[in-house]
Amino acid sequence: MNRKYDVIVIGGGHNGLVNAAYLARAGKRVLVLERRHVLGGAAVTEEVFPGFKFSVCSYVVSLLRPEIIRELDLPRHGLEILPLDGTFTPMPNGDHLWRVNDHAKTRREIARHSKLDAEAYDEYGKAMIDMAHFVKPVMNMTPPDPASLNPKGLMDLLTMGRRFQKLSADDKYNQVQLMTMSAVDFLDQWFETDVLKATMSASGIIGTFLGVRSPGTAYVLLHHYMGEIDGAFRSWGLSRGGTGSISNAIGDAAREFGAEIRTEAPIAKIILKHGRARGVVLENGDEIHADIISSSVDPRLTFMKMVGAEHLPTDFVDDIKRYKFRGSSGKVNLALDALPDFKCMPGAGPHLRGAVSISPSVEYMERAYDDAKYGRYSRRPYIDIVIPSLTDPSIAPPGKHVMSCFVQYAPYNLKEGTWDDKREEFGDTVIDTIAEHAPNMKDIILHRQVLTPLDLEREFGLSEGNIFQGELTLEQLFFLRPAPGWAQYRSPIRNLYMCGSATHPGGGIMGASGRNAAMEILKDKK
Amino acid sequence: MPHDIIIIGAGHNGLITASYLAKAGLKPLVLERRGTAGGACVTEEFHPGFRASTLAQTTGPLSPQVIRDLSLKSHGLEFIKPAVRVFAPLLESRSICIYEDAKRTADELTNVSAQDAKTYPEFVSTFARIGRALAPLLTMTPPDIEKLARAELWGLGKLGLAIRGLGKKDEYRLLRYGPMAIADLAAEWFETEPLRAIVAACGIFGAFAGPWSAGTSAALLLQAATDENAIAPTTFIKGGMGALSQTLVKIATRNGAEIRTNAEVASVSVRDGKATGVVLTSGEEISGRAVISNADPRTTLLKLVDPAEFDPSFLNKIRNYRAIGTVAKVHLALAELPHFPALANGDSDEKLSGRIHIGPDIDYLERAFDAAKYGDMSPQPYLDITIPSLTDQALAPAGAHVMSIHAQFAPYHLKDGDWNTRREALGDIVVKTLSDYAPNLNEYIVARKVITPLDLEETYGLSGGHIHHGEMSVDQLFAFRPLIGWARYRTPIEGLYLCGAGTHPGGGVTGTPGANASREIIKDLKRRA
Repeated sequence: MNRKYDVIVIGGGHNGLVNAAYLARAGKRVLVLERRHVLGGAAVTEEVFPGFKFSVCSYVVSLLRPEIIRELDLPRHGLEILPLDGTFTPMPNGDHLWRVNDHAKTRREIARHSKLDAEAYDEYGKAMIDMAHFVKPVMNMTPPDPASLNPKGLMDLLTMGRRFQKLSADDKYNQVQLMTMSAVDFLDQWFETDVLKATMSASGIIGTFLGVRSPGTAYVLLHHYMGEIDGAFRSWGLSRGGTGSISNAIGDAAREFGAEIRTEAPIAKIILKHGRARGVVLENGDEIHADIISSSVDPRLTFMKMVGAEHLPTDFVDDIKRYKFRGSSGKVNLALDALPDFKCMPGAGPHLRGAVSISPSVEYMERAYDDAKYGRYSRRPYIDIVIPSLTDPSIAPPGKHVMSCFVQYAPYNLKEGTWDDKREEFGDTVIDTIAEHAPNMKDIILHRQVLTPLDLEREFGLSEGNIFQGELTLEQLFFLRPAPGWAQYRSPIRNLYMCGSATHPGGGIMGASGRNAAMEILKDKK
Repeated sequence: MPHDIIIIGAGHNGLITASYLAKAGLKPLVLERRGTAGGACVTEEFHPGFRASTLAQTTGPLSPQVIRDLSLKSHGLEFIKPAVRVFAPLLESRSICIYEDAKRTADELTNVSAQDAKTYPEFVSTFARIGRALAPLLTMTPPDIEKLARAELWGLGKLGLAIRGLGKKDEYRLLRYGPMAIADLAAEWFETEPLRAIVAACGIFGAFAGPWSAGTSAALLLQAATDENAIAPTTFIKGGMGALSQTLVKIATRNGAEIRTNAEVASVSVRDGKATGVVLTSGEEISGRAVISNADPRTTLLKLVDPAEFDPSFLNKIRNYRAIGTVAKVHLALAELPHFPALANGDSDEKLSGRIHIGPDIDYLERAFDAAKYGDMSPQPYLDITIPSLTDQALAPAGAHVMSIHAQFAPYHLKDGDWNTRREALGDIVVKTLSDYAPNLNEYIVARKVITPLDLEETYGLSGGHIHHGEMSVDQLFAFRPLIGWARYRTPIEGLYLCGAGTHPGGGVTGTPGANASREIIKDLKRRA
């Protein structure tokens, strides 16, 4: 016999918690059930090695919606974003590219490589900010269904069309290109410096199974400018105490609104009665009932595992089976005794306080992708390195450091062998790659944690290890996410909703999915 | 009355525009650089007694509307449509064959996969349905995004209804397929790798893209709209593609157009933002009240017009119009028909009479593309082959044959060396690759002609050697071809028009760009007259 809830939120990741917080805020009795012992899902801080606290998966914040920060009063609940200043790209020829938030400095730095590019960089920045302004409202919008005759949806589409029409000729041109072109093709039109294009285009491939030359990768370039225009903080930031403290802040907000949160409560099944979701069965057999189930886990887990294909329309099942995950990235977390010393810029300078990007050339990036296409991890991967302990000493013992390496490509499906055999070999490849730029690397490692796509699936419930709960490719965005006709946070099962990154607008610590879903649920269940 | 409308280039689209204009009582003068009319649609003798369709091997197919409007058939144009669309020989003596007849195809597919045999007819009917709904798009002038005219809204509305008529399932397919990688689409339908590769090939033909490149499925939708079948047909023209051009020349001149060969245009004369005529390389000046270019957008707007005539932002955009060719052609004069072990003796003649596809799996095609990304030709290229002499004996001496090979990838920009020094190396790679499937090929080769992307540019005037006058990627299609805001066959220079494959609906021998352009031009000229 257990108390009845209005809503059960499946998964205590940042989206599930945002969803719960908004529902609780609206007076619903909400229960959040998290499989693991810690809250946060992929936005989690864990003390993997004594004294060293890691943002195990997601490690930077850029897109957390400012309205969420405001409406949930997250700063009061302990959210503090520290600036992550700049991106440093070491080059094999002993040179480097170091872009920082200080515009004038960056301009001078780029001018070192190309005067033309320095000019273009300003133009580019202006253009991208215009674009970001155009795209921003779409983030908080429930995608209309173009195939339905629902007048509201048609109106929304029409409004979008009108807004596009109102853009200046150049903005229209840029917008079309951003939505369709490859990051490199797009950047080729602006810049000539290879290392600049390589580093900028990297943001276009993160979490996808695409290369920097694959069409559709350009639009992600916008994300960098979203953060800027929101004015919440500059493009990239770190959360004090690791990304887990974002989840904890949201969790506290949710609790304050009356939500109940349980960890170590893995769910086996969603209970259906007469085709409606009525509750959940935990793996320990407990049944908990609620009028509404809101799932923040990905559609494969929600529908194939917890609901069961037999209860769903075949077309929908086909769509979910077709929905592409194919994780392409891994993570290597290192506990360091000292700081890495880069050949091209020796010493513990401020260049280590930003992101260090191993992306020396466009060809390097593309070749990394070629390996993945044929089923092996990149022999020389793209690596995005952050040393948060420099900005936030609280996460490592005095004098020691925490280093987070995001690695691409690491395809979930290997042509030869399994990730369990290849894990350490993969870790070595990452260290070797970094050591080519920072020779002291191998001597300063105290501990290392290697996360393969398989580990991301097992540990964090991300199917096929996709960090965005499904590829962020055009055919899986907006009104196609996660399936055409089901992009409005609802599902074929009445009272079963989706609120995770597998819904519009998708991955990244944004929270928009959780918030949008809450709005839809409240629309249905006033 | 003198010829007062100048058409630059006697390619099929230029000639079709000339024919439509002449039929409308206007007086076009077509100026062709080369000694023969036809552009990419020419039949040339590359070895005594052996004639080949030098560039385009088959029609796209030709738009039925053009065939009707210009009554091509009554002017003696003969189409040859073999029963086979595509034949794909594989190593270890297996093969796959796609026929015109879906049922026959399905029956034969049962040998490789019962599942695919079951799906194939549905694949065909689905794309036929979607194709029919999209077809009106091809013959429509892309709308002016700034201000949609009532007529355009009407056209788009009709299109919208046609698409709605498909029902949700197909509508969603349409939405998903547009931006998708062809490799994913092929895998959604079929389990047999070689069959997937045949489908994928349609997405990368002539493109700077591999099957894993997003957006390659759009080409399939476009093909379906043109042909009601995603897998392109093999439609030859009796006498080779040159016969099409000759027929069009006949029709144009009969209606009062004049065609001058060996007349290369050096520049378009512009006064006060208006096109007033052209100057030939010979120095001769020809004035006209309108100038229509069948040449590709880069050639027309960057080579023939003084850059000072355009505002910088337009100039910048047209400079960024992508036209980097990836295609080479190899023609072989063969003493006899080579033997393909994948074929049982006897059915050779029929199975080889359509297109022959070399590219057994998706990875093979993708690897072929990888080389191009790094500025090298594919060590194992994807080949699209025809042996037109099988269905048109007149092209070769008795018993002998002509084999025309479309080879990808041969990128216009080479990292090492240049195409003049690497021409024969390319020919060797192509012959060697094909020899894996037809071992005795070499013994039969009497003569060989290799056409590199550089030749395509220098000899045939295709800038970047791009056979489609520019990449057919989503950002360069429909209302964006060649540029957003300039997709209506007009240019910033009053009286200067585009009518070639660099305009909607793009490349392939369909004649639709020429037909659409002439409709718009006639509207303007009649208004001004």
